[in-house]
Amino acid sequence: MKLTINGTARDVDVEPDTPLLWVLRDELGLTGTKYGCGIAQCGACTVHVDGEPRRSCSMPVSMAEGTDVTTIEGLGNPQAFHVVQQAWVDNQVAQCGYCQSGQIMSAAALLDLNDNPTDEEIDRAMSGNLCRCGTYPRIRAAVKDAASKLRGA
Amino acid sequence: MKHHFLSLVFIVFGSGAFAADGEKSAEQIAAAEALANAPAEGSISTEDGLAAWDKVFDVFSHPRCANCHVDDGVPMWSGSHYGETRPHGMYVGGDPDLTMGQIGQQCNTCHMDGNSPVLHGPPGNAIWQLAPAEFAWFGVSSRDVCEQVKDPSRNGDRTLFEIAEHIEHDALVHWGWTPGPGREPAPGSLSQTVRDVLIWGAAGAPCPTE
Repeated sequence: MKLTINGTARDVDVEPDTPLLWVLRDELGLTGTKYGCGIAQCGACTVHVDGEPRRSCSMPVSMAEGTDVTTIEGLGNPQAFHVVQQAWVDNQVAQCGYCQSGQIMSAAALLDLNDNPTDEEIDRAMSGNLCRCGTYPRIRAAVKDAASKLRGA
Repeated sequence: MKHHFLSLVFIVFGSGAFAADGEKSAEQIAAAEALANAPAEGSISTEDGLAAWDKVFDVFSHPRCANCHVDDGVPMWSGSHYGETRPHGMYVGGDPDLTMGQIGQQCNTCHMDGNSPVLHGPPGNAIWQLAPAEFAWFGVSSRDVCEQVKDPSRNGDRTLFEIAEHIEHDALVHWGWTPGPGREPAPGSLSQTVRDVLIWGAAGAPCPTE
């Protein structure tokens, strides 16, 4: 099966109903995307498929054929952070960090469509991403920080 | 608005009555045949029309249909594992006009092209969205839904034949009979529901008086 992951063509030999998450982690070694609940209840596995946030634990890999998949590794890298990743560092968002790649992917997808979200709009977009450490106030602050940088403010 | 649905019976996996990959299933073929053989207007008694409506309402008011016919943008969750019917989690909703979800968290963020095979996993279909808010009927009585369904200003400007057609060809409606593990399917069948709408219409679309 031919996939495009972070701009790179990849060929994987998997059953078509394998969740995309396990292809990313186990077949391709991209372990930045996390397994949380496996039933799209927590958001830890969020990636972008054609720019939209999708829960990779619940997406059969067959659905990803012919799409552009972006994972946390493809959003930015330690040499060149994505603006949301930089905001996460600047605001010291992460506590244990487990949910954060999913949080960042959801935040980046929101800001692609709305670069000046209100608290309510952030909550509407981000409430499918759970954080057991409860770092929600910092998540919201970092989203606003990233938004202001995107607007050049 | 809030309506208490009794706990649903735990059901097994989908019946397989619907074929995959665009091929018409036996049920879809039967539904198309029902449309092609619609009873003539006036050929059905009021009594038989009301009996047909009762069966249609059993389907429309079933959680597999009614849970997404809401007016506030927040679908309902129900099932044997949920206790009472409750609003969908994840703080979905907000703008009832956004029937495919909110900006940054759309329905298809979690709902994929098909049902998750895992209990409590998200059900799915290629298109997953709420009915428009003006078609809301969650918790509404049989009489009021009946009046609503035949009112073009509240049914998408459809004739009753077009409503039967909508049921016949809309894949998200069909999902109500193949809802995935742990969810009770809508009662009856696709083809029977198309037939009942046509019978009800041919009787002049009588509605219960109370």
